[in-house]
Amino acid sequence: MFEIKNLYAFYNDHCALQNVNLKIREKGITAIMGPSGCGKSTLLRCLNRLNDLIVGFSLKGQILFRGQDIYRIKDLTEYRRRVTMVFQKPNPFPMSIFDNIAYGLRIHGVTKKSILREKVEQALRMAALWDEVKDKLKKPAVQLSGGQQQRLCIARALAVEPEVLLLDEPTSALDPIATTKIERLLEELAQQYTVVIVTHSMGQALRISDEVVFLYEGRLIENGETSAIVKMPRHEVTKQFLTGKIG
Amino acid sequence: MRWTLRILSYAVFLAMLFVLVSIVVSGLPYLFRPGFFTAWPRRAMSEGGIFPMLVGSLMLMALVFAISIPVGLVGTIFLSEIAPRKFSLFLQSLAATMNSVPSIVYGVFGLALFCIKLNFGTSLISASLTLSTMSIPFFMNSAVEFLRAVPKELREGVISLGANKLQATLMVLRASRNGILTSLMLTLGRAFSETAPILVTGAVFYSTRLPGKLTDPVMTLPTSIYAIVMNLGESSQWMAKGMASLMVLIMMFIYSVVQITRRNKRE
Repeated sequence: MFEIKNLYAFYNDHCALQNVNLKIREKGITAIMGPSGCGKSTLLRCLNRLNDLIVGFSLKGQILFRGQDIYRIKDLTEYRRRVTMVFQKPNPFPMSIFDNIAYGLRIHGVTKKSILREKVEQALRMAALWDEVKDKLKKPAVQLSGGQQQRLCIARALAVEPEVLLLDEPTSALDPIATTKIERLLEELAQQYTVVIVTHSMGQALRISDEVVFLYEGRLIENGETSAIVKMPRHEVTKQFLTGKIG
Repeated sequence: MRWTLRILSYAVFLAMLFVLVSIVVSGLPYLFRPGFFTAWPRRAMSEGGIFPMLVGSLMLMALVFAISIPVGLVGTIFLSEIAPRKFSLFLQSLAATMNSVPSIVYGVFGLALFCIKLNFGTSLISASLTLSTMSIPFFMNSAVEFLRAVPKELREGVISLGANKLQATLMVLRASRNGILTSLMLTLGRAFSETAPILVTGAVFYSTRLPGKLTDPVMTLPTSIYAIVMNLGESSQWMAKGMASLMVLIMMFIYSVVQITRRNKRE
């Protein structure tokens, strides 16, 4: 799905990613792991080109999405529809639940009420939130609980019918029950979508990911199938990470 | 020690309350005189009402808002969303400096620029431009903080769905709308009560008619209080008291609206 070649990322002079080479598979869950500040969020945000917003950010190397260099894409609106993102802190928009989900659709030109209604319901069902909110779609989204807000954000990202769902530590602000709900949801979504999740919870990566990528100090140190790496980590840092000595 | 502090702080608040209450109470009875709001003043302001001053102040406020809101909003958006961080902080410190310039200086500036140089004369338009010159930095300084307080996750959330910069900015405005409203009310309060800038640019002591066009002079509440107190005898003072009382009541209203919007924001 993604092919990353010789990627270097800089914030001004600070080098956040060094020579990262990586292929991310289609469908399934890829977890990006590593200690704080290792560059995992930077890597994820590169995939949606969200780092473009940051003053002083620059990048060398290539990221191919289905063979196309994403840093040469002119129509970012369409690209970001195909590759959407969910953030660490739930960020519902200051509007109703319905309008939150419909927002992305409206940006992409859907205006017909019946279609909006249908797609909003579909997205909320996919995010396992429909039953909890179907009677209060007109209520402000900020009134939902943290876990519900995060599922709302997932629904919002799904509503635009993307191919890839990027998630930046989506459960780190949530309690264990809400976390479990979201993990189950991601497993289900992974049958249809390519899911890339940044996490620094080893347990979470083990529970849900098919493949795992370890970053350490901006370098990719190990990647592959989660089960294989857990059984036989090749790299010293990964071993330490797995045994809880770092991370 | 604790009791001393407690008594001292009560004393401070009581003193403040005394100022407000004594102003309101001393003028309150006159507000109920027949025709106080609807009649023209007569016999050197010793009889009649404050109709032209009230309407003049309202006209002035309407113009100040018509000028300040669009300009102020554009400026605020520029400071918070467009300008590079350092430049934005520099501009904001300029705006803060403008806030502490004495208001009579604005008056003199307005007199030189709008009344004389641009030849608008002593008029409604000169006064509202002068007041706007003062209100815009005040508004921007206050509103920009509310825009900056919008978490960056919200901007990123909008952008990550494929929205452009304009759509992201609209979302930021939406998220900070209570704060913007608060800033507007504070600006309104400040502009409404300001006397010096309009004293020299647009206000007249007495006019026989309401301003019919932008270049006509205007009578306003604060400048009339000043005029009565400085120039007229005992028999006219009641009108100044009535207007002072009315102005304090209006300011109390404005600030309670601000408090209510702030409380709603917290919920």
